[in-house]
Amino acid sequence: MRGLDAAFAALSDPTRRRAIRLLIQGPRRAGELAADLDVRASALTRHLRVLRESGFVEEQREDGDARVRVYRLRREPLEALRGWIDEVESFWSDQLASFQRHVERRGARANRSKARR
Amino acid sequence: MTTAPGPGDAASVTVLVPVDPEAAFDAFTREIDQWWGHGPKFRCGGRRPSRITLEPGVGGRLIETIPGKSGEKTVEFGRITAFEPGERLALEWRGVNFKPGEKTLVEVLFRASSSGTLVTVRHSGWSALPEDHPARHGHVGADFSRFIGAWWAELMTSLRLHAGQA
Repeated sequence: MRGLDAAFAALSDPTRRRAIRLLIQGPRRAGELAADLDVRASALTRHLRVLRESGFVEEQREDGDARVRVYRLRREPLEALRGWIDEVESFWSDQLASFQRHVERRGARANRSKARR
Repeated sequence: MTTAPGPGDAASVTVLVPVDPEAAFDAFTREIDQWWGHGPKFRCGGRRPSRITLEPGVGGRLIETIPGKSGEKTVEFGRITAFEPGERLALEWRGVNFKPGEKTLVEVLFRASSSGTLVTVRHSGWSALPEDHPARHGHVGADFSRFIGAWWAELMTSLRLHAGQA
């Protein structure tokens, strides 16, 4: 679960969660994000820094205009979290199948000893 | 066996066993070493022979004992937070690759059904993190958990939709 602490911290803020949801639809300029999220530019700068440091977004220069910054969502942290859930599910599927076999074997033994009596 | 998508941040798996909930709970806890998987996916000791023990009662540890040249080595990977025979077992779970303090929560539910007992394991990730975890600052308990869960599920759905278009 390396790196997940930073991801959790980034996701703990509702404005940042809304920003991620918007960026899923496609990259946006900082100005568009500030307007859509209804936050001041200074607050947005802070949120975007946290999202960048935790790997959720990356900053790019817009084609043809180096002055305009565009923010794009990175899927890796989201997929890492999704991957964790898949791994855990596969682990417990195997474990519970084995538990089920154990209980069934145990039942069969108990029935055999009952039949012998 | 069924796997149900949880609120998006949890894995959930259910099986049906042909005994009553008390017997199922007993087999799950006392006989844990007899059914716990072998090999590196399930045991720290890998292919070396080891023993899994669950100490009954709240505060009890889930441990693996691995024999070695210089005596036995004990690895703790869970601690019981609820022990209700025939009903429910809950553990704080720490994977071997977790950082110190990084925990998840495992809850095992035993529900009577007409043909035996439905045993469900729910392993929650970060929404089960303790109150003092940095991810929780400014939020409280179950509400946060529910909120984040719903948000996460929705996010995963839209991520899949957009991935299809990309």
